[in-house]
Amino acid sequence: MLFSAQKYPELVRLSYELRLDLLNLIHDAGGGHIGGSLSSLDLIIAVYFGGLLKNNHFILSAGHLCPALYVVLAHAGFFPKNKLSTYAQLGSPLQGHVSLDTPGVEYASGALGQGLSFACGLAVGDRDRTTVCLTSDGEHQEGQVWEAAMFASKYHLGNLINLVDHNKYQIDGSIQDIMPLDDLAAKYLRFGWTVTVVDGHDFRQIATALEKAADSTYPNCIIANTIFGKGVRAFQYDYHYHDIKVMDESLYQRTAAELESVINRLNPDYGT
Amino acid sequence: MEPNLTSLRQAFGRTLTELAKTHKDIYVVNADLKSSLYLTDFAKKYPRRFIECGVAEANAAAVAAGLAKTGKVVFLTSFACFSPAINWAVIKQSVCLNDANVKIIGSHAGLMSADLGATHQMLEDVALMRSLPNMEVFAPLDSSECQQMVKVLVRSHHPAYLRLVRPPSPQYSSSLPFTIGKSVVLQKGKDITVCGYGPILTQAFSLKKFSLEIINCSSLKPLDPKTILRSLKKTKRLLVIEDHQRNGGLGEALAHLLLSSGLKVKFRHLSVRDTFGQSAADYRQLWNYYGLGPAHLLEAARALMSQKL
Repeated sequence: MLFSAQKYPELVRLSYELRLDLLNLIHDAGGGHIGGSLSSLDLIIAVYFGGLLKNNHFILSAGHLCPALYVVLAHAGFFPKNKLSTYAQLGSPLQGHVSLDTPGVEYASGALGQGLSFACGLAVGDRDRTTVCLTSDGEHQEGQVWEAAMFASKYHLGNLINLVDHNKYQIDGSIQDIMPLDDLAAKYLRFGWTVTVVDGHDFRQIATALEKAADSTYPNCIIANTIFGKGVRAFQYDYHYHDIKVMDESLYQRTAAELESVINRLNPDYGT
Repeated sequence: MEPNLTSLRQAFGRTLTELAKTHKDIYVVNADLKSSLYLTDFAKKYPRRFIECGVAEANAAAVAAGLAKTGKVVFLTSFACFSPAINWAVIKQSVCLNDANVKIIGSHAGLMSADLGATHQMLEDVALMRSLPNMEVFAPLDSSECQQMVKVLVRSHHPAYLRLVRPPSPQYSSSLPFTIGKSVVLQKGKDITVCGYGPILTQAFSLKKFSLEIINCSSLKPLDPKTILRSLKKTKRLLVIEDHQRNGGLGEALAHLLLSSGLKVKFRHLSVRDTFGQSAADYRQLWNYYGLGPAHLLEAARALMSQKL
């Protein structure tokens, strides 16, 4: 296992602490991409704190999910936590879409659909290491993703993992309404990939899938079923929270209190 | 006398294949045009370093960028009308913003892809590539300069675009030097400074009526303002010729340079004027049709000479 069973509750608690960091980051900046950041956060936590990332590549293809990456990088010690409040501000290394100025970042992204191709290039040039690429489900409407899917299959990129944050929403609505992806797993299988479907908020499942994928002959697609806006009732399943333009103060107080109460409940000393 | 004709893309493919023998980090990322780029031999000799992406230029550009980030010198090869045209946004983000050491080779540029028609006559590539931060833009005059450029590109560490053409073109010299950011005065003169790039510039050599100072602006970005302005201080007349759209080409770049320098210079610009190309049996027919032929050069030179300085 990538991390022991004892660590599992710690990761759950960490995920809520980082959700609060994420909320504060968006609040301090006055807005930002929150829905997908909350859905993908557990995946990024699993990659960074599950032991897989040591000496391996991590590519965030859906660059707007960077708030989730930033809170993870800050927690991992790449930069001080107080930098988080500079998100998307003039001169900040924490740009509105992920840039190379951010310590710990390998690929600047924002335009969807390119990251998986870039990850393919890394995987070809660096066969000894695993390349993990995080894509969004909406991003799969870009044709380039399927060009990359063909490519990875042709070049037998067993050292490539495409981790899909399948939260079923995109900026203008549900994926089903905007442009259905139908059976994403079947599509990847047809393209010659190994496919694993997991609950994207279950660290045990994500970790097992990552561990298995890291040792494979075929390119790996892990489809993580996630909840859009996970962890904050007001945001969950509501595509209007793809990004927040202005964080209403009362909404902030309410959601912060909600997360704090979960964190307290997850505290090992809770109720003692 | 007809000048000796040689092929820029053949010079590219052969030089790269030759260099790959000793430079083990040279990779080719190709989009189904290896024979057109004279890379069949490269693919045969170095199959592990020849990455074939098929007809998928967007993927190819980002694959090239990722590969470059593992320490390779990557040549992304296709026609200019596909790469950098179809994959421009990928080049912007994955190559330029990420400062990946990718050399984009766009062949079949300009009206010179005569019979192929408007879809394949890439007349906007210089504009597209000049506009990108972190991107250098080069267009060889002849095959000897192309060889030098490939050698320089292998040693440089930044994104670059190399513009090639389809048909064999006049060989100006057997050893044209090339330095990034330098323009070479090919012919000294006192009446008019002629600036251009690629084979179309060689037309100026046959214009004997005036004393022309011909400058090879093969380093389109960065330009060489020093050499160009030095010549213009003397001639005070500039004639620009390019097988490219007027918008975003060399002419606009030089007009900007002139206005910024404060130098008073008479200016004529021969280029494609905001229109599409079309098929023709020979590219010289197209150059004549679109106002880029020898007669147009003469006419523009006359007009410049008739203007009071």
